[in-house]
Amino acid sequence: MITTRSISGSSQSPRSPSSQPYLSVSVTDPVKLGNGVQAYISYRVITKTNLPEYQGPEKIVIRRYSDFVWLHDHLFEKYKGIFIPPLPEKSAVEKFRFSSEFIEMRCQALDTFVNRIASHHELQQSEDLRTFLQADEETMERLMSQETGIFKRKPADLMQIFKDVQSRVSDVVLGKEKPVEESNPEYEKLKHYIFELENHLAEAQKHAYRLVKRHRELGQSLSDFGKAVKLLGACEGNSLGKVFSDLGTKSETLSDKLQKEAHQLLMNFEEPLKDYVRSVQSIKATIAERANAFRRQCELAETIKLKEINLNRLILIRSDKVGEAEFEYNQLKAESEEATRMFEKIMRLMNEEIVRFQEQKTLDMGIAFHEFAKGQARLANGIATAWRSLLPKLEACSSS
Amino acid sequence: MIATQRSVSGSSQSPRSPSSQPYLSVSVTDPVKLGNGVQAYISYRVITKTNLPEYQGPEKIVIRRYSDFVWLHDRLFEKYKGIFIPPLPEKSAVEKFRFSAEFIEMRRQALDIFVNRIALHHELQQSEDLRTFLQADEETMERLRSQETGIFKKKPTDFMQIFKDVQSKVSDVVLGKEKPVEESNPEYEKLKHYIFELENHLAEAQKHAYRLVKRHRELGQSLSDFGKAVKLLGACEGNSLGKAFSELGTKSETLSVKLQKEAHQLLMNFEEPLKDYVRAVQSIKATIAERANAFRRQCELAETTKLKEINLNKLTLMRSDKVGEAEIEYQELKVESEEATRMFEMIVRLMNEEIVRFQEQKTLDMGIAFHEFAKGQARLANGIANAWRSLIPKLEACSSS
Repeated sequence: MITTRSISGSSQSPRSPSSQPYLSVSVTDPVKLGNGVQAYISYRVITKTNLPEYQGPEKIVIRRYSDFVWLHDHLFEKYKGIFIPPLPEKSAVEKFRFSSEFIEMRCQALDTFVNRIASHHELQQSEDLRTFLQADEETMERLMSQETGIFKRKPADLMQIFKDVQSRVSDVVLGKEKPVEESNPEYEKLKHYIFELENHLAEAQKHAYRLVKRHRELGQSLSDFGKAVKLLGACEGNSLGKVFSDLGTKSETLSDKLQKEAHQLLMNFEEPLKDYVRSVQSIKATIAERANAFRRQCELAETIKLKEINLNRLILIRSDKVGEAEFEYNQLKAESEEATRMFEKIMRLMNEEIVRFQEQKTLDMGIAFHEFAKGQARLANGIATAWRSLLPKLEACSSS
Repeated sequence: MIATQRSVSGSSQSPRSPSSQPYLSVSVTDPVKLGNGVQAYISYRVITKTNLPEYQGPEKIVIRRYSDFVWLHDRLFEKYKGIFIPPLPEKSAVEKFRFSAEFIEMRRQALDIFVNRIALHHELQQSEDLRTFLQADEETMERLRSQETGIFKKKPTDFMQIFKDVQSKVSDVVLGKEKPVEESNPEYEKLKHYIFELENHLAEAQKHAYRLVKRHRELGQSLSDFGKAVKLLGACEGNSLGKAFSELGTKSETLSVKLQKEAHQLLMNFEEPLKDYVRAVQSIKATIAERANAFRRQCELAETTKLKEINLNKLTLMRSDKVGEAEIEYQELKVESEEATRMFEMIVRLMNEEIVRFQEQKTLDMGIAFHEFAKGQARLANGIANAWRSLIPKLEACSSS
C-alpha cells in the first residue's frame, strides 16, 4: 500500500510493504460536544499501522470516554492474568470536568492507555482493540448498547466494580470466605508488596498534589506582594520609590515562573504518580481474578472427588443411574481440567507480567524523578538569577 | 571618671580617655520571663554606656519591662511636640503567642531600636525622662509608673486606643468635621496626603509580606511531608527504584529545613522593617494631630484675644469700673496667645527638620531591608538549585542499574 502522506510518530516507513510490523496510535484533539448535563468530550483516535488485520495505513475515528471503558472492560474479561493498563478516573467534581487542565491530563492518560495496549504482545492481538480503533461511530454506539452483565454499566459503576473487587480480595486474603487460598510464599510476598505499595503510593500522591498547590499559593502570594510594593513605590516617588517598584516588578515576574512550574510539576510528576496508583489497582483486580480462578479450581476438584466416589458406589451396586453419573462425571472432569488450565495460565501470565511491570515502572518513575529534580533545579536557578539581577539596582538606589 | 576594666562593645568611642567625644550607647538585652500565669511578663536588661556628665558612671544596668518603655514614650510625646517620637512595638494581641521565642526576640530588637533612636536624636537625648528611664532603680520606676495621671495613666492596651482617638481626631480636623480651622499651607497639605496614602500602602505591603513568610513555611512543611511519604515508598520498593525514591525523599526533607529557616530570616530581615515603617508613620500622624491641635488653639486664642480687646476698648470708652479687671484678663490672654503661637511655630519648625531626617533614615533603612531580602532570596534559591542538581546523577545511577 503506497501512500503519499508521511507518517509522524512512527519509526518505520510505511512505503515498503516488507518493513517491520508496527501499530502506532495517538489520542488527540479533545472537543466538547453536546450541551448542559449531556455535554461530553470527544477525542480523535488516529491509528497508523501496516498490520494486515487493519484497514489501511491510517484510520481516524472519534471516540468518547465510555468507549475507552468498553475496551478496558472487554480486555479485563478476556485476558485474565494480564495487568490491563489503567484508565484515568471519571471526574468527580462537575465544574472541574471541562477545565483545560483536566482535559489535557485526561487526553494524555487515554493516549498512554491505548498505546500500552498496542505495545503489549498479547493485548495488541485483541479483536476488541481492532474494533475500538476502526469501527465507525454508529457501530460503537450499537455495541455499547448491546452490553449485558458486567459490561452494561455506566462509567460511574466502574469504580464500584473495582471497589467490589478490592473488598473481595480483602475478604479472600483475610479468609472471610471459604479459606481456600494458595499457599505459595512467593505469591504471598507479592500480594503483601502490592497492598503496602498502594498505601504508600496514595500517600505520596496526596503529598505531591499538596506540593503543587503550595507552589501555586507561594506564586500567588509573591504576585500580591509585588503589586502592593509597586503601589508603595508609586506613592514614595523618589529613589526609594524606584527601589520599591523594582522589587515589586521582580516579585510579579517570579510569581509567573512559580505558577508555570506548578503546572509542570503537575504534568511531569504528579500524573506519573497517579498513573502508578492506577496500575497497582489494576494489579489488585488481577489478584482477585487469580483468587477466583484458584477457588473455582479447588471447588471443582472437590466436587469431582465426590462425584467419583458416588460413581464408584453406583457401579458397585450396579445401579441404572451409572450412565448418567458417568456422563456428569466426565463433564465435570472436563470443566475441572479447564479450570486448572485457566488458573495455571493466569499464574504463568502473572509471573511474566510482574517482571514487565517492575521494569516499566522503574523506567517510568526514574524518568519522572529526573524531570522533577531537573525542573526544580531549573526553577530555583531562574529565581536565584532574577533576585541577583536586582541587587545592583538596589545598591544604586540606596546610595543615590 | 576612670574607665572600668570592661571593654565597651557597640560603641565607636573608647571610654578610657575622659577627653574623648561624648557618647551615649544603650542596649536592650536578656529577656527573662518573670511572674506566673496571667501576671507573667518579660523583663529586659537595659545597659547604658556613656561619658555624659548628667549620667551616673560609665555603665549602668537597670531592669525594665514593656510598660516602662510605654511610660518613656508617652512622656516624650507630651513634652516634645513636633518631633516624631520613635515608635514602640505593639502589645501582643494573641495571648498564646506572647511568650514564643520568636515574638520575644522581635520585641527585644524593636525596643532596642526604640531606645537607641531616642539616644541618637539631638533633642530627645537631652530629655530628663530618658535619664530617669536609663538610671532609676526599679522601685522608683514602679512608683513613677503608678503616679501617672491623665493621658499617662493608661494600660498599654489603651495605648492603641489613644492612637485611634488621635487618628479619628486628625481625620475629623482634616475633613473639617470640627470647626473648619485648618492651615492653608499647600506644602503641608501635600505632606499630610503623602503620609495618609503611605500608611495605607505600607499596611498592604506588610500584610502581603507576612503572607509571603507564611507561604514559605507552608511550602517547606509540604516538602517535608512529601519527603517522608516518598521515603516510605522507597523502603517498600527495595530495589534501585526504592533507592531513587529514598534519595528524592531525603533531599526534599533537607530542602524543607532550608525553606523554614529562610522563612524565619525573611521575617526578621524584611517583614519587621516594614512593620517598623508602619509604626513610624503612625507616630508622624500623631504629630500631625498635635500640630493641628496647636494650630486650632492658636486660632481660638487669637480670636478670643481679639474679642477681649474689643470688649476692653468698649469698657474703656464707657469708663466702666470693670476696665481694670478686663485689662488683666486681656493681658493674661495675650500672653497665652503668644505662647500658643510660639508653640505652634516651634512645632512647624521641628516638623520640617523631622521630615527631612525621617526621609533620609527611611530611605537608608528600607534600602538595606530590600538588599537583605533580595540577597536572602537569591541565596536560598541557589541552595535549592544546587541541592536538586546534586540529586540528578544519583537518580541516573538508580535508573540505569
